[in-house]
Amino acid sequence: MEFSGLDLNTVIQTLTKILPILVGVLVGSLALQFVLYQFLHKVVKTKHALPYTLLAPAAIAIVAFLLYPLGYNTLLAFSELKRSTFPCYSPVAIGECELTHLYGLDYGFANFRDVFFRVRDGEILGWGRLLRTADSTFPVLLQRTALWTGLNVIFHFTIGLGLALLMNQKIRFKGIYRSLIVLPWAIPSVITALTWKQEFHAQYGFVNVMISSFGGQPISWLDDPVLAFVAVVFVNVWLGVPFYMVMLLGGLQSIPADFYEAAHIDGANARQSFWTITLPMLRPIIIPAVTLDVIWTFNKLDIIFIISGGGPQEKTNILVSALFNAAFGPAATQQLGFAAAFSIVIFFILFIFAVIWITSSGGLKEIYDR
Amino acid sequence: MNTRKSSNQITLGLGAVLALVGLILTFVNQMNWFWFMAGAWLGLLVWQPTHWVLVSYSIISVYPVLRVISISLRPTANLLSRSLAIIPPNATFESYVVLFLEEEFLLWIWNSFSITMVVASVGVIVASTGAYAFSRWRFPGRRPALIFLLTTQMIPAGMLIIPIFVIVAQLQLTNNIIGLMLAYIATAIPFSIWILKGYYDTIPPDLEEAAMVDGCNRLESFWRIILPLSTPALSIVFLFNFLGSWSEFIVAKVILQANSTQTWPLGFNEMIGTFSTDWGKYAAGSVIVTIPVLLLFLWQSRYLISGLTLGSVKG
Repeated sequence: MEFSGLDLNTVIQTLTKILPILVGVLVGSLALQFVLYQFLHKVVKTKHALPYTLLAPAAIAIVAFLLYPLGYNTLLAFSELKRSTFPCYSPVAIGECELTHLYGLDYGFANFRDVFFRVRDGEILGWGRLLRTADSTFPVLLQRTALWTGLNVIFHFTIGLGLALLMNQKIRFKGIYRSLIVLPWAIPSVITALTWKQEFHAQYGFVNVMISSFGGQPISWLDDPVLAFVAVVFVNVWLGVPFYMVMLLGGLQSIPADFYEAAHIDGANARQSFWTITLPMLRPIIIPAVTLDVIWTFNKLDIIFIISGGGPQEKTNILVSALFNAAFGPAATQQLGFAAAFSIVIFFILFIFAVIWITSSGGLKEIYDR
Repeated sequence: MNTRKSSNQITLGLGAVLALVGLILTFVNQMNWFWFMAGAWLGLLVWQPTHWVLVSYSIISVYPVLRVISISLRPTANLLSRSLAIIPPNATFESYVVLFLEEEFLLWIWNSFSITMVVASVGVIVASTGAYAFSRWRFPGRRPALIFLLTTQMIPAGMLIIPIFVIVAQLQLTNNIIGLMLAYIATAIPFSIWILKGYYDTIPPDLEEAAMVDGCNRLESFWRIILPLSTPALSIVFLFNFLGSWSEFIVAKVILQANSTQTWPLGFNEMIGTFSTDWGKYAAGSVIVTIPVLLLFLWQSRYLISGLTLGSVKG
């Protein structure tokens, strides 16, 4: 009995895969904790036996599913892994392998060099091509990533703050507005992206129907590099505003009304009290929110990938989407060794930026200082 | 006070006039309600600018949802209509029926659902005790571990996808939902610990101390007092992990390549690929997939928002 691709057999098959995993995780972590506690408490005799025991399952999962892949990624950056050499790297060697060694500093050097420079016969010809077009070089992509992140964060923040300020007044229908504005958050982002993609369709999309009903010429949004970039930024702004609105509204509601009354008595106008009361009081919320948003936006891949695919002419790629296209893109040769090196470079750019930002703003201090 | 009142009356009058003009234009243009809505919209701008901004933004927020619902109700014959009406003429549920009959929709949903349930449950189980340790004890290595959890947020997706793709291929788990689960669990755990630690921090330690005076040991007090008190946070973490992997697209695209094991985001993307024919099916599917999530979200939204604020921000 099959309906819509699903039959009883498939269900049973999946369940026999899943249930052992769930039971195994539960029983396994309990057993592990028991043994580990006995060991730490009675053999090692540390006074921190209990917290280490409680942490053990999470630590194991993080090591296995996060640290191990990250370490392996670093190893891959020092390899010559691509589609043609894939068999060499599989545990069961299939077919011939022309590589003399699998990992080496020479591969690593070449991979990292290729991220930045195009070299032939030991001579630097210019910036390295990360994708197929000559324009997809490191500085161009870095610039575009900065523009993407900057535009998104600025619009997220200003629109979110504006809406939060409006909602913080005594107005009717507050609950309704709040639910409606938070809605984009609840919709699966794949659906958001695919739906907006259609709205930018040259003929049937909402934007062009509006333009042509006022007598204008329809614009083919996704065929023009600049307009395609506008489109992806628009969608991501739309997606990110609710987060700020909710966070900032929460912050605004926690500012005591006395502050404003005192300022009013002292003769401050609305603008002065905004700059001297509202913004400083919101600081503990604004800084972590902006920090998280910068990190998320910098790494945001799915919107660009689904809506423009990095195109036209690879001109809406940011660093992370270029990375994805280099590794798994439609016409890629799966140069995984090179892509692994590229991913490490991207991570360190963001990491260095984040360290500078966090230490200078004191942003996320309170999170681990407690 | 008087001037404010009278200016309010003036703007109200102006707004009403604008709406009326819109209504007249509607009658003139063969009952095209677009004109009335435009008039009412401008009227609201004059009368209540605050509400005008909020209403306009709400419309922008909700618009894609309405649009998808509207397309899903269109009869196949005029799927590609340029009409912007919310309830199309001759609305039918044809697309919904076709979706189930022509696509393997239930299979996609089942795959997504089973992956999501495992990831969300494992995330909660593993994170609940780990976060408790971070919240209540000062042990050597705590600070670096917390900073490490913070740093995991900065890892670009590609940095994990590449090694996981290779590992999964080596373990021959390509096209197997287990491979995808491993990838999702990796990203779910740090965030779960983060949020739960934030929540545990807000529960006063006095509660456990009182329980321990009454004869509970540390673990009993965690089990009997902290866990029940944290039900909202645990359900938030479950929900976040659920939402995160429910609609994940990129990793799934890399790991699942066969048609026999697809999650719904992959299936939907394929339907969109053949744009003209499958638009209706896509829209119907979106509605079905979104409504449960939306209900869950609206029902939990108060917890959800407070949970996020607690976990990431509150000092």
